[in-house]
Amino acid sequence: MTSSVRRLDTDVEVPPEAYDDRIVDLDFHVNPMEDELMSYVEDDRARDKLTTEFGSTPVMGKWDAAYAIKEGNEGLYTQGRAEHAEDVHEACEMLAVDEPIVNPGINNLNLQHHPVLKNAVCQAANDYMLDNFVDEGIYTSMMLPKWDPEYAVEELDRVGEEDGVVAAYSWFDPKVPWGNEQFDPVFEKLVELDFPLMLHGSLSYWPQHSYIGDDMLTWTEILGFDWPIHGMVNVINMIMRGVFDRFPDLNVVIQEAGHWWVPFLRYRMDEFYEMHPDDIQITPRKMESGEKYLNQAPSEYLKDNFYLCTQPFALPRNSGEASKMLDLSFAEEMFVYSSDWPHQTLDPPTWFYTSRAFSDDEDLRNAVLHGNADEILNI
Amino acid sequence: MSSENVTVDDAFTKVATTEEIPQGTGIGVDVDGIEIAVYNVEGEFYAISNRCAHQRAPLCKAGDKKINAEHTWTDTRGGVNEESCTVSCPWHLWEWDLETGEHEASGQRIGTFDTHVEDQDVYVRI
Ligand code: FES
Repeated sequence: MTSSVRRLDTDVEVPPEAYDDRIVDLDFHVNPMEDELMSYVEDDRARDKLTTEFGSTPVMGKWDAAYAIKEGNEGLYTQGRAEHAEDVHEACEMLAVDEPIVNPGINNLNLQHHPVLKNAVCQAANDYMLDNFVDEGIYTSMMLPKWDPEYAVEELDRVGEEDGVVAAYSWFDPKVPWGNEQFDPVFEKLVELDFPLMLHGSLSYWPQHSYIGDDMLTWTEILGFDWPIHGMVNVINMIMRGVFDRFPDLNVVIQEAGHWWVPFLRYRMDEFYEMHPDDIQITPRKMESGEKYLNQAPSEYLKDNFYLCTQPFALPRNSGEASKMLDLSFAEEMFVYSSDWPHQTLDPPTWFYTSRAFSDDEDLRNAVLHGNADEILNI
Repeated sequence: MSSENVTVDDAFTKVATTEEIPQGTGIGVDVDGIEIAVYNVEGEFYAISNRCAHQRAPLCKAGDKKINAEHTWTDTRGGVNEESCTVSCPWHLWEWDLETGEHEASGQRIGTFDTHVEDQDVYVRI
């Protein structure tokens, strides 16, 4: 008997059915080279300081993925480094991603020391994104400087109207959660532009700057669980401080904070709030409006105003269990696919074709792969 | 792993010539619907299932050059480690033992296949 032998197509890495679906990727990092980024800094004085031999101020993490991978392999650029539009196209072709929403992945900027230099880098990053991605037809999530809400509004004014800029990219952290009233002018502008606020985990708060993380010794604890705790804290803070009663149209996307905690939050928030509702009236926004309570149950805001990136999906192998988890987690309303290219936690869109939880439920698959993203992005 | 003193019969299928798989690299083939990755480790040929048990990445892509590799710490997406006779997956770097098909940390295993080289041709036993 003769066997049939065929060399495998080397350009396709995901199940072929993925190419039949429209896939929007809400977390695709591009990484400018420092020299190129610095050439976009407009202020000569800031550029001068940023390009000394010391560069930007050093922010050392205590730990790195490299210690947790054989051969000290790198976690940050496991797949490569996208610097220009053609790099993004090449990576997306392999993953069957149709619409990457790219962001400038300078995730340690938030913790840099000097606010003027940080703003200069933010301006440069946004101009770099305009030149290299927006102008090349790739949808972009512009950088939003969390450390300076006034400048954040200025950047939104300056860059937000550009066609192809479709969202604002910033970070969640445990220090100043986003429920704080100082961000109201930013929220107002985001709603005006109809931009979702994308909040990503940040290198800046690993673990040395967070009490939660002080004695964590492994990458599993640090990356796997420090961020979700910070993510949850931010979500609850925004809900309980009445952000969405004031800005009901604000959409927030949480990136890389996990997603299976939705059932925990939805039941626990409601239980605690209904039992202890009387301090809501003295939160600053409620003090100002004179309202006594939230307009709806906390879990309703979770479902209406938040979207969670799915990377890494970590779907249970048993499809019955997976379906139940997806259902309890409001996946059809809240989950948005993200690859996190090029990091080691990359999540190619395989689950949608290998688990019956998705292959048997087209509505759910479409919602996660593109429907929910289409709902919040003007693309 | 290469078997010695075998008769190349119907169970063995020619998948490549030795030249087509340079040392330290691998290729992917589909033999009667079974996807197999075949690697050259210091001149010895090893064949394992092409699909990583973690999330089904094609293991034959291990060792591919990264996009803008010169601006990253390491050049390739995973790859063959000849010293330890392993291959690390191009997506999340799980390391698979080419002799046993085992990923030590999880205890998971994928299929391995006997190989044989004759007259510069590489055969795999299905
Ligand atoms: S798919 Fe191979 S390590 Fe994840």
